Amino acid sequence: MTEGTVASRNMNLRMTVYTALFTALMIIGGYISVPLPAGPVPIVLADFFVMVTGFFLGFKWGLTSVLLYLSLGVLGLPVFAGGRAGLAVLFGPTGGFLFGYLLLVASVGLLSSKGKPSIARNLTALVTGNILLYGAGVPWLKAVMNLGWTSALAAGLIPFIPGIIIKIAVASGLVRAFLPRFKERLVSFQ
Amino acid sequence: MPVLEIQDLTHVFPDGAVAIAEINLKVNAGEFLVIAGPNGSGKTVLALHLNGLLRPTRGKVLLDGEPIDKNIIAARKKVGLVFQDPDNQIVGQTVAEDVAFGPENLNFPPAQVGMIVKESLAAVDLSQFATRSPHALSGGEKRKLAIAGILAMKPKIIVFDEPFTGLDYPGVVQVLKEILRLHKTGHTILLITHELEKVLAHADRLVIMHKGRLVADGKPESVIYRAESYGVRMPLKDGEKVSALTWLK
Amino acid sequence: MTLFHYIHKDTVLHRMDGRLKLASLLLFSLAAGFASDLPDYLAPLSVLICSVLLAKLPFTVLLKEMRFFGVIILIVIVVNAFTFPGDPILKSPFASISRQGVIAGLRFAGRLSIVLLVSTVITGTTPLTRFRDAIEWYLRPVPFVPEARVATMINLTFLLIPVLLDSFKEIRNAQNSRCGQLRKNPVKRMKYLVFPLLGQTLRRADEIVNAMEARCYSEVRTKATFKCKKTDWFLLAISFAVFLFVLL
Repeated sequence: MTEGTVASRNMNLRMTVYTALFTALMIIGGYISVPLPAGPVPIVLADFFVMVTGFFLGFKWGLTSVLLYLSLGVLGLPVFAGGRAGLAVLFGPTGGFLFGYLLLVASVGLLSSKGKPSIARNLTALVTGNILLYGAGVPWLKAVMNLGWTSALAAGLIPFIPGIIIKIAVASGLVRAFLPRFKERLVSFQ
Repeated sequence: MPVLEIQDLTHVFPDGAVAIAEINLKVNAGEFLVIAGPNGSGKTVLALHLNGLLRPTRGKVLLDGEPIDKNIIAARKKVGLVFQDPDNQIVGQTVAEDVAFGPENLNFPPAQVGMIVKESLAAVDLSQFATRSPHALSGGEKRKLAIAGILAMKPKIIVFDEPFTGLDYPGVVQVLKEILRLHKTGHTILLITHELEKVLAHADRLVIMHKGRLVADGKPESVIYRAESYGVRMPLKDGEKVSALTWLK
Repeated sequence: MTLFHYIHKDTVLHRMDGRLKLASLLLFSLAAGFASDLPDYLAPLSVLICSVLLAKLPFTVLLKEMRFFGVIILIVIVVNAFTFPGDPILKSPFASISRQGVIAGLRFAGRLSIVLLVSTVITGTTPLTRFRDAIEWYLRPVPFVPEARVATMINLTFLLIPVLLDSFKEIRNAQNSRCGQLRKNPVKRMKYLVFPLLGQTLRRADEIVNAMEARCYSEVRTKATFKCKKTDWFLLAISFAVFLFVLL
C-alpha cells in the first residue's frame, strides 16, 4: 500500500466524521431557536446550518450531509424542524424548502469554492443559495396548498425575511472566523 | 444576615429523577466554602439554582434576604458562575471581546465597558493577551479568562464548578492563586470540587453532598473524616493536618 | 431524558429483527402522511400505544417529556383556528375561529403524535448499532453507495445529537449567567450562541477522527448478521395492515 492511499483513506474518514457532525448540527438546528425581538417567528437554525455546511464541506460532502439529513427524516425519525418526519413532510406544503436545502448546500458549495475567498464571494454564495431555497419552497407551497401568489409569499417568504438577513450576516461572519483555519487543517491532512 | 440562604431546595427532573432534595444552607459574606461530593451528587444542579438558571421544584434561594426570582438580573450580577468547561463559557473571538460580553449585556456605555474589561483582565493578569484568540490560551489561562468574564459583572459571590478539572500543575496553581486573591478582596467563594487535596487548606467550611442531599456541613477539620464514607477521597494521611491540603507551596 | 433513547428490556419488540422494524417505521410514517379521517388517526395511534405497553416503556415519563411537542401542537391548532378561512364557530369583531382551521390543526396534531410515538417505540427498543446495521443491509444492493461509510455517518450523527444539545445548553446557561438574555441585537445574540457551538464541534471532530484511527477504523469491517423469527413477520404484518387501513 502506498503512502497516498493511506492519506486518502484518512481523508475519507475525516470527511465522514465532518459530514455526520454537520448533519447532527442541522438536526439540532430544528430544535433550537433564537427569539427575535419583534415578530412571532423565531429564527430556526436548521437552514442556517445547511448554509454553513456548504462552505465547510463543499459541494460533494455537503450534498451528502443534507441527503443524510433528509433520509433520516424520510425514514420517520423526528429530525425536521419541530419534530416532524416522514415522506409526507417531504411532499407536503413545506417539502419544497427541504428539497431547497439540497439546492442551497449545492450552490453555496460550488460558488464558495471558486475564485479567491472574499466577503463579496461568500455573500454572493449565500444570497444565491437563499434565492434558490425560497425559489423552490414558495412555488411548491403555492402549488400544494392551492394558494395565490400573494398568500403564498405571505406564508412562505415575508415573515422570514428578517431571519434570512440575520442568518446571512451571522453565517458570513462565522465563515470568515472559522473557515480559513479549517481549510488549512484539511490541507495539512491531505 | 447571611449573604446567601438556601431553604429546603429540591429539584426533580421531568423524568422523575431527584437531582437535589431538601438542601438547607446559609453562607455568610466573605466565607470560603468548599462543596464536595462524588459525580452525580447534585453539585452542579445546586450551582445552577444560585442565579436562577434552574428553577426549583420546591424551596427557594435568598440573596441578602430577597428571593432571587424577584429580580433575576440582579441575582445574576450578584452571583457569578464559573463553569466547568471554559470552552462552553467563552464566546468572544478575542480575549477582550469575551470579557466585554457581560457588561455589554448590561448596556453600559462603551467607555465604561472598555474600562471594566481593562480592570478585569488586569485583575487576572491577562492584560497582555487582550487581542489574542481565546483558543490560543493554555488551560489555566482559559480558566482565568472565564473568571475575568465573571469579574466584569462585579459579583459579590463567585461559584466555581470543578475549577481544576483537566488542568496541569502550573494551571492548578494559577487558578488557585486567583481564587485566593478574589477571596482576599472580599468576595464570597463557593467552590465545587471532589479534589479536596488541592484546595481544602484555604476553606473556612466544608459541605458534603451525596445523592442530592447535603450530608455534612462544618469546619473542614471535623467534616473531612466523614468524606470517604460519601464517596469523596479522604486526602489526609496519618498525622497530616488539613492545612497540608493545598497545591500552593 | 428518556425520550428517543434506548431503554433496555427483554420483550418481543426489543428482540424484533432490525430490518423489519425499519420497514415498520417507514410504514407508520407513511400512514401518518396519508391519514385523513378520524379512524385513520385512531388506528395507528392505538396500535402504537399498545406497542409502548408491550415494550414495557415508561409511558408516563415519556408523556411528560413530550410536553415540548404538546406546546408546538397547541400553537399550531390555535394559529390554524384563527387564520384558516372557513365556517366560523365563534365570531368576534377581532378574530373568528373557523371549523376548517380547528380540523387542520387537529390533523397536524394527529400526524405529529403518530410520528412521535413510532419514533419513541423504535428508538426505545432498538440499540443504535442494530438500527445502523439494518440501514446498512438495505443499502448493500444499492450501487455507488458505500454502505459501510453511510452506516458510520448515521451512527456518529445519532451519537453527536445529545452531545451537541448538551453543549448548546451549557453555552446558553453560561451566557445567561452573564445576562446574555438582555441582548437586543439578534445578529449578536445568534453569533454568540453559534460561534462557540461550531468551534467546539470542529475541535470535537478532530478528537473523534483520532480516536477512530487509533482503534484502526476501516470501512471493510465485520458484517452484521440478522435473525428473523415468525413473530417479527407477524409484527410487520400488523404495521402493513395499519398502513393499508389508512391508505384505503
